[in-house]
Amino acid sequence: MHKLAVVIRREFIERVRTKWFLIGTLLGPVFMGLVIVMPIMLAERGGAERTVIVLDATTGGFGERVSAAVAQLPKVSVTRRTVPLEQIEETATDLAREVGTTPLDGILLLTDNTVEDGTAEYRGANVSSMTDMRMLEATLRATVFAERLRREGVDPGIVGRAQIRVDLATVKIRDGKVTGESGAASFAVAYAIWLLLYIAILLYGVQVLGAVVEEKASRIVEVLVSSLRPFELLAGKVIGVGAVGLLQMGIWLGTAKLLVDNRATVARMLGQSGEAAAAVGSFSMPPVPAATIVIALVYFLLGYFLYAAMFAAVAAMVNTEAEARQAQTPVVMLLVIPSLLMVGLLNNPDGQMAYTLSMVPFTSPIAMPVRWAAAPVSLGEVGTSIAILLVTILAITWVAGRIYRVGILAYGKKPGLRELVRWVKG
Amino acid sequence: MRDPVVEIQSVTKRYGDFAAVSDLSLMIPRGSVYGLLGPNGAGKTTTIRMIMSIIYPDEGKVALFGGRGDGKDQSHRIGYLPEERGLYKKMKVIDLLIFLAEIKGEPRAKARAGAQAWLERLGLGDWALKKADDLSKGMQQKVQFIATVLHEPELLILDEPFSGLDPVNTQVMKDTVVDLARRGTTILFSTHIMEQAERLCDAVCIIARGIKVVDGPLAEIKRQHGGSNLIVAAERSVALDRILSDTRLVKRADSYGNYAELELAGGAKPQDVLEMLVREGVSVTRFEIAEPTLHKIFIDLAGPQAQPAEVAHA
Repeated sequence: MHKLAVVIRREFIERVRTKWFLIGTLLGPVFMGLVIVMPIMLAERGGAERTVIVLDATTGGFGERVSAAVAQLPKVSVTRRTVPLEQIEETATDLAREVGTTPLDGILLLTDNTVEDGTAEYRGANVSSMTDMRMLEATLRATVFAERLRREGVDPGIVGRAQIRVDLATVKIRDGKVTGESGAASFAVAYAIWLLLYIAILLYGVQVLGAVVEEKASRIVEVLVSSLRPFELLAGKVIGVGAVGLLQMGIWLGTAKLLVDNRATVARMLGQSGEAAAAVGSFSMPPVPAATIVIALVYFLLGYFLYAAMFAAVAAMVNTEAEARQAQTPVVMLLVIPSLLMVGLLNNPDGQMAYTLSMVPFTSPIAMPVRWAAAPVSLGEVGTSIAILLVTILAITWVAGRIYRVGILAYGKKPGLRELVRWVKG
Repeated sequence: MRDPVVEIQSVTKRYGDFAAVSDLSLMIPRGSVYGLLGPNGAGKTTTIRMIMSIIYPDEGKVALFGGRGDGKDQSHRIGYLPEERGLYKKMKVIDLLIFLAEIKGEPRAKARAGAQAWLERLGLGDWALKKADDLSKGMQQKVQFIATVLHEPELLILDEPFSGLDPVNTQVMKDTVVDLARRGTTILFSTHIMEQAERLCDAVCIIARGIKVVDGPLAEIKRQHGGSNLIVAAERSVALDRILSDTRLVKRADSYGNYAELELAGGAKPQDVLEMLVREGVSVTRFEIAEPTLHKIFIDLAGPQAQPAEVAHA
């Protein structure tokens, strides 16, 4: 027991002392700060005045109505210029030269065809801005819709009422109670959990791989196993690296909370105007229920143990770091596959696929917390999933331990499947 | 009564169909310097790993310090320098030494003081706070050796300790080993270099292809397996040549004209040769009964010519 503690301490201290730990720990919050501030900056940029020229070759006042509607959009200034249909292309080409050099962002080309078959063209510097384009398109669609109804003789008053916007507020119910979480917030939390768990399990699992290969490649391992049982060495390594992981995650989550709680101050410090900073401050962050955090942490630890054992077994089979990088692929794939299916899971957290992913032990460490955050999951299901995971961890650790025990002293060719079976049996 | 520190009884270790060690028995008395000798691939490292309980025998048993507990339980009483040795490259030398002593069960403070003292003794005092990676290969070898002896083991196991050492370190290592032996540490070391074994060991065990060829005190082995060897130097003469080619007396002669190394024929005694030389009037300048070298015994017993005998043995 004392020896195990010595191994854990070495693993922990030597890791925490490295430059990479320091850099990673510092860069984490900087990165998160950016994640928080970036949308603010983008919002700020989006808030800048857009200048748009509407080239109007329509008849019957449609161009005016479009201009008026576009002018209703926040922070857009519109100038309408009527041109004969045959000159519209020429004028647009002339104006295009001014885009970017003068305060002109884009040109909207309207003809009578716009109403007939719904085609219009926008040329501008901001076409890659999804938000701008979506707003412009929505405005245009609504105006064309109204125009067509008007031409069919429908009362403009009725048209106006027909276009009243619908806002669907989504509120999550968990265990029969209205939670106050919005649908978007649940989605955001689930997404964040997926990202965090995926990165954390992969990051620290691969560190165990590196640690085992280092000992083998530097040939210190034989000295170690003359004093320690291989399992003590393996367990010490996994626990030590895991402790570093928890510490780093703790620092990250702590700073993240600090940053979020003081986001207005942070925004101000980063040179945002007082008004924008206040807007950031009032932007509500999705609340994360304590149960979700507990579930995520439990699954992080279980998932880390499962993958660390597999990474250690892989590392014990190879001789060098380069070989390890190749050999780890199957294990990494086990982690990547549920990530690829994650979008489907988030879209339908009650579906058959989501259920299966949250039960299969290799995918459940990520899938179950994500499901939990996105949709109501019964505690019974969580219990079953954890039980399956625990049994798998025991089995995998046993197999990995036996491969490790033989592998750390076996140099040379990578073992084939038959030899691996002999290692495990032996 | 000699008190065995290591006792191996009829141990066999197989890897698949290949027997790395077959039915090996040996006994290492307390306080001795014991050589485990054999060509590469003879099973020396396998035997040592079984003593350390890094691997376990398929048959037979290994008893340490009179029988209680295996190599893992007794690891704090043993210092082990494997053939393939390394260090944590990124660790500071002193921290590394403390860690390696701590997993032997040494208290931290004692390990620190001991490590510093050993570093001073081997001329590495200024390097304690450097990373292992910054040390030269020779210095790393010294650090590995310190890690082996830091916890004051009763039994020191050195697997090919001199391989890869530069001459200066070889000398330092040899002096230290001799010093520890003088103070009562039992030493087991494996080598395929017979000259070292001959100078250092009290007793040896020669193995080849996993099978014991011979073991026991060095002097006894020499007596039993050395045969009779003579070195004769004399003035060149026809009589000398005649005597050297007399197959009743000489089995094999390695003659240089006026200098010859002889292996006597069965039943012939050195005195018979001397008598003949005197009778024939050869003017002898040197006549010496040579002790056989361990090297020669080793080649005779474990070399290529010895193969048929071993197969018969197995």
